[in-house]
Amino acid sequence: MAIRQRTRSARLLLVTLVAASLAIITVDYRGGEQGPLDAAGRVVSSAITPLQQAVSNVVQPVSNFFSSLAELPSLSRRNGELQVQVDDLRTVQQLNQALTRRIETLEQLLGLQTITSHTIAARVIGSGVSNFEWDITIDRGSQDGIEVDMPVVTGASDGPRLVGRVIRVTPISSVVQLVIDRDFAVAGRLSTSQEAGLVLGRGEEDLRMGHLRPGIEVGETEPESVFTVGYEVNGQPGLYPAGILIGTVSRAFSEPDAVESFVTIRPAVDFSTLQYVLVIAPDSDPQGGSP
Amino acid sequence: MRRTVVIVAVTVTALLLQTTVFPELTLLGVKPELLYLVTVVFAALQGPAEGAVVGFVGGLAQDFMLNMPKGITALTLTILGYTVGLARQYIASPSPLLPAILVGLGTAGGVAFHQAVAFLLGEEEGPFSYVAKVVLLTAVYGAVLTPIFFPVLRRAATATHAGRVVRF
Repeated sequence: MAIRQRTRSARLLLVTLVAASLAIITVDYRGGEQGPLDAAGRVVSSAITPLQQAVSNVVQPVSNFFSSLAELPSLSRRNGELQVQVDDLRTVQQLNQALTRRIETLEQLLGLQTITSHTIAARVIGSGVSNFEWDITIDRGSQDGIEVDMPVVTGASDGPRLVGRVIRVTPISSVVQLVIDRDFAVAGRLSTSQEAGLVLGRGEEDLRMGHLRPGIEVGETEPESVFTVGYEVNGQPGLYPAGILIGTVSRAFSEPDAVESFVTIRPAVDFSTLQYVLVIAPDSDPQGGSP
Repeated sequence: MRRTVVIVAVTVTALLLQTTVFPELTLLGVKPELLYLVTVVFAALQGPAEGAVVGFVGGLAQDFMLNMPKGITALTLTILGYTVGLARQYIASPSPLLPAILVGLGTAGGVAFHQAVAFLLGEEEGPFSYVAKVVLLTAVYGAVLTPIFFPVLRRAATATHAGRVVRF
């Protein structure tokens, strides 16, 4: 008798919890991005952030130590190669400085507006919980001026590289959707042909850049780079400033009689070793930023 | 009260490990599904009612960290916890491998169900080959991790219901 009663109460519990889950799915699905459950989600995320910070403080040095041990034999060879690269880059830098001065002068002459924005540095404290979403958690949030849709980059000697965009913000942390996520899309431009197309994330596979002109020629001998395109719609700038490196073309699929061409792109950022990022926050008054 | 604290503590620990330690320790690029493991082990030890509750709480917490309609993981893990708890009552095997087998099968079924519901709600989940790979690898990874986590989870489970623990 008692067993039957227990079975019945367990069944009742199952029905209640399944009904609650279905209600939550329905409410959240209909509510979209600004659903009433988002506030509850922010509370859970805020509560877990300090713990994530503490654990990543312990985990990151350990994982760095082991990865550097594995790379020890190749380090001295790599050191020599890097020295050569440094010498080369110094020469390029001197050339660039001269060119930058020329551009500044020309911009002043033409009265061009440059993008006025500042960056917020943040540390990566966690990765996505699922195998079907590619995102990271960073230790800066709305208290530091971060808002949803802000672009996130990482620094490199040859300029910024695109990491992704902010999709959720709590006061003390933010979630950044990586460029490889299947929901990610950004307008890109090929460096040599200057053709523009839409770059889409495809998870573990290389990114896909579509909507390119049929029969387009893509540099086969030297890997071609893809940068973000800056655009304006009704005076409102797009999400991403122009000129952020997205990646390099890994394969081109171009046939003269096809409706469109597309290329696959290897991302410029190694997401598995990412520790620090920069969030680009556009200044509130884009006209007043520069004199 | 003590039961609530244990369930919350286990859920938070699993989520923390899932987002900080295991992204570095992937199996062929795939992370384990620790909350599926926790739900199956609790259900196997404590029966369908506790399995459903642990699944619902853990699933809802995980849902808040996902970029898709909330509630899908809660639904998946509630049903998974109840099913495993019910099935466990009819299995008389004394095999010490039983928890690992249950976690493997439960994770495979759970992840497949989760992706099916996400697909029906119009979520972009990638090609079938990738989904199949994740289903298979999370099941294998969960089964491999079970012997490590099982003693800790059994201790946590016994802290809630001292008299009703099923011994393997």
